[in-house]
Amino acid sequence: MGSNLSSKNNMNTLIGNTLRIGVFAACIIALLGGIWYIASSAGSSLPDYTTFHQGDASYTTVEGIFKSVFALSATGWIQLGVIVLMLTPVMRVVLSLVDFGIQRDWLYVIITGIVLLVIIVNSLVGVG
Amino acid sequence: MYFCIKIFSMSIILFTFLLLFGAYCAGLLGSLTGLGGGVIVIPLLTLAFGIDFHYAIGAALVASIATSSGSASAYVKEGLTNIRLGMFLEIATSVGAVLGAAAALWMPTNVIAIIFGAVLLLTVAMQFRQKTDYIGVKGSNLAKKLKLFGSYPTKDGTVQSYELTNVSGGFSVMVLAGALSGLLGIGSGVLKVLAMDSCMKVPFKVSTTTSNFMIGVTAVTSAVVYLQRGYIEPGIAFPIMVGVLAGAMSGAKLLKHLDVRVLRKIFAVAILLVALNMIYNGIIGKF
Repeated sequence: MGSNLSSKNNMNTLIGNTLRIGVFAACIIALLGGIWYIASSAGSSLPDYTTFHQGDASYTTVEGIFKSVFALSATGWIQLGVIVLMLTPVMRVVLSLVDFGIQRDWLYVIITGIVLLVIIVNSLVGVG
Repeated sequence: MYFCIKIFSMSIILFTFLLLFGAYCAGLLGSLTGLGGGVIVIPLLTLAFGIDFHYAIGAALVASIATSSGSASAYVKEGLTNIRLGMFLEIATSVGAVLGAAAALWMPTNVIAIIFGAVLLLTVAMQFRQKTDYIGVKGSNLAKKLKLFGSYPTKDGTVQSYELTNVSGGFSVMVLAGALSGLLGIGSGVLKVLAMDSCMKVPFKVSTTTSNFMIGVTAVTSAVVYLQRGYIEPGIAFPIMVGVLAGAMSGAKLLKHLDVRVLRKIFAVAILLVALNMIYNGIIGKF
């Protein structure tokens, strides 16, 4: 029981830290990209946000975003921050899956697996 | 919309700072009132800034994930969240979110705006509801088989255990909550609490924190689609993410020293006006 309790506390600390670090990292990355975006925007006018335009691949696909990040594009870095933010809750689900595995709770390993599967399949085929 | 800020004549730097300030207020109010950032971001962007609804949905998703993960890191320590319950119901919400994000493709924006207004009305109604904490609920067999019963620490240091019931009812409401979340980009926290609280008789503290855990996961399920559709626009996403997070953090600090009951009532009236405005603008086809 004692070791069970301490492993539970360890997992909670790990999950708490993951969430904190994820949100913090996402914020810093987006902020860096954002400051850069403003600094390099001098003279250019605001994009037309009043009507919707089909997005450019450089910030709508993972491949495009990583290319923009390596090309040091400001919008690429902002989107990298968005991706890190999106990965934060996903990481929490992954950690819960590991936690249920450690507890040998196979029913919840399956249930958590289904949730992860829906997210992954949706990100692959749900483009529409 | 005559009351819109004229964003098309604005420089990028001014637009970003106005949006940053607006997002800070949205995060602050969302955290003080318990509504979350997403619900406030959509009217802020569409009604006040005149930004297209699609971009507003993308921004609201970013805001929902940020506030959910931000406050979850504090909730984990308190041991109130029922992870099994959240994970089991997350199957319903993530499938719902997939359906909602698919429906958003063909649904006219004005209809989406009217649905959003209706969800806001429900939110207001829930703010004035009497909160009853269920004690001595006799759990159902299915809930027991799914190991959904739990316990949470109380203020006086004892551990309160609880049972819950009506799993299928809660599960069905969660599909709807997920669909609305996928369609509107909001966390649908109101429906999530409604499903756990009213249907399944989960204690209020547990349903609030478990709903917060679920909001982030549900929002990500639809965000992976919306990012690829171009709804998440970098120039809007960055001030929203930074502003809402900073606002939510100040809100969490203020909440400890502030009696927010009056604020919540005032805010409920404001949300009511926004809801009617959304529905009206949707009906006359402004979006």
